[in-house]
Amino acid sequence: MIDIRISNCNKNYGSLRVLKDINLEIERGEFIVLLGPSGCGKSTLLHIVAGLDRLSSGAIEIGGRDVTDVEPKDRDIAMVFQSYALYPTMSVRSNMEFGLRMRGKPMAEIRPLVEDKARMLHIDHLLDRRPSQLSGGQRQRVAIGRALVRDPKVFLFDEPLSNLDAKLRASMRTEIKKLHQSLGTTAIYVTHDQLEAMTLATRMVVMKAGEIQQVGKPEEVYHRPVNLFVADFLGNPGMNFMKGRLRLEGGRVSADVGAATIPLDGYAFDTSPTDGQAVMVGLRPESVQPSTGGEPFALTLKPTLIEHTGSDNLVVLAMGSEEIVGKFPSDMLPKLGEPVAVGFDLSRLSVFDAQTERRI
Amino acid sequence: MTCRRRLAAGTLPIREAKAPIKRRFLQRHVSQVALSPSLALIAIFLYGFIAYTAAVSTTNSKAFPRFDTFVGLEQYWRLFHTPRWHVAFTNMFLFGGLFLLVTISLGLLIAILIDQRIRAESFFRSIVMYPMAMSFVVTGIIWQWLLNPTLGIEVMMHQLGFESFRLDWLTNPDTVIWALVVAAFWQGCGLVMALFLAGLRGIDEDIWKAAAVDGIPAWRVYVFIVIPMLAPVFLTVVVLLSLSIVRAFDLVVALTNGGPGVSSDLPSVFMFDMAFRRTNLGLSAASAVVMLGTVLAILIPYLYVETRERA
Repeated sequence: MIDIRISNCNKNYGSLRVLKDINLEIERGEFIVLLGPSGCGKSTLLHIVAGLDRLSSGAIEIGGRDVTDVEPKDRDIAMVFQSYALYPTMSVRSNMEFGLRMRGKPMAEIRPLVEDKARMLHIDHLLDRRPSQLSGGQRQRVAIGRALVRDPKVFLFDEPLSNLDAKLRASMRTEIKKLHQSLGTTAIYVTHDQLEAMTLATRMVVMKAGEIQQVGKPEEVYHRPVNLFVADFLGNPGMNFMKGRLRLEGGRVSADVGAATIPLDGYAFDTSPTDGQAVMVGLRPESVQPSTGGEPFALTLKPTLIEHTGSDNLVVLAMGSEEIVGKFPSDMLPKLGEPVAVGFDLSRLSVFDAQTERRI
Repeated sequence: MTCRRRLAAGTLPIREAKAPIKRRFLQRHVSQVALSPSLALIAIFLYGFIAYTAAVSTTNSKAFPRFDTFVGLEQYWRLFHTPRWHVAFTNMFLFGGLFLLVTISLGLLIAILIDQRIRAESFFRSIVMYPMAMSFVVTGIIWQWLLNPTLGIEVMMHQLGFESFRLDWLTNPDTVIWALVVAAFWQGCGLVMALFLAGLRGIDEDIWKAAAVDGIPAWRVYVFIVIPMLAPVFLTVVVLLSLSIVRAFDLVVALTNGGPGVSSDLPSVFMFDMAFRRTNLGLSAASAVVMLGTVLAILIPYLYVETRERA
């Protein structure tokens, strides 16, 4: 059942086109993450769903009802902001109660509701404090609590964890995930952090310059990016790209990347390849591993730089005039300048047309 | 300590080793040396003369200060038994209260209106701010003309056909205080509006968005959330305006000259009159000391709150 439908949505600020013909359908209970670099329009799209921004053309439906011209308060949504946006002059309790009070709900119903949600978020001991007396993580819990008590049809998150430090961000991330699993409410979550996107999303939407690049399950977007931008944007360290040309010989396809010829027999082409086509062959660092001897494709390459991350060793390998990065296990420490046998997991290859930058 | 501060304080080791003793003293105390002329001036011309005034207030000085006529606190006793002082002192609170109330409420209202992302915002902002560029003397004269029944607003209304229109604030002892309030508001509103507008602009946009999603009507957001958040601005505004109330002198002299009778007298006018027209320096000094006490009564709690917040 479709909960949110965004159709042909455009947003212009003067001549600047912030959103270009966005179409998106969100099923009930999904956790959609909008991901993209800053200025890609993801926050604008969220604000439009919330009703805080008007769209220039197009329509928004929530729960089967056209809400294009409906005020935010009547859209049955709740929102969590990056800056928490708590009311600083009110106690935590009042912050959580205020929205319900304004809707004329009797206090006898509000009280137990607020206390229940506060317990759920482990902030029940903070109810009588002011926001200024809380830490960043506690403030964001209160902000989430304020959204929870409203029991909305849709949760909107606008980079809620960006102001927190790395460790807290990770624990809040898991809590948001648990929360979504237990509540099952549809959610849209905006972030520029790919780790948040990968871990939280049931489906993610990658955006760039006001356009949707790819919509799909995180692993699908990660392993089968539709274009160079998505491939490059996701993953840390980023995907290796090797410039080359396709070669068609006797029904077999391979990519000549200068230093090597990579066989593409097992590659599932989206479009039929042509001989001599200029391509970018992409392979993620984790698919570049020390050879065990069993791989169908291996090369002997010279390491030029090694970075220790603790869990892995990132090995920069010279490949002709280019360099590729391999993610080696931490116990595999090659010597600089001494060639090592490197195995390539070709089932994870992505091949893009060099001109159109699309997956082929 | 940052390098620059250590340099200023003269404790950077390289310099210290090379500099002769005299220069080392200068380097160490450069800030004190630089400030000492103004400190000396303040000590003499501010605190020195405050003490001098307090001393004069215990004498029976007439046209010139004479310390051989010590009378103790008699001048204060006389001051509080002078009906004109009571008028002036009461007026200060009446004028002050009304001025604070009108200026803060309307200044805040104008700031809120200008904050609504209106068109030509800078135009409206300038209009409200311009009177601030006028001195109180000019303000007083402008409003004296405007309120003058024979050439100001009243004449204009008569010419427009409203024959029964009367505007006799300046000639009526009961309403003359309103003339002062209106003129002072006209002059002071710009500053208050600017301070409130800056405060409003400093409020996180997300608070408004959160309130919109929560379905809180705009006026309630102002009353329950935004205006309480502006508390520090209120404090600043009240202190600034209070000080200008106590200092108010030129406005009264230019607009009403204390009249009709002494009905629009303020303590500062009283003090000036006693010192330079009635040759009663002792009484004048006593009123000055009482005014200083009033200012301190306002300032000290403010400074206390301010410094405690900083700490």
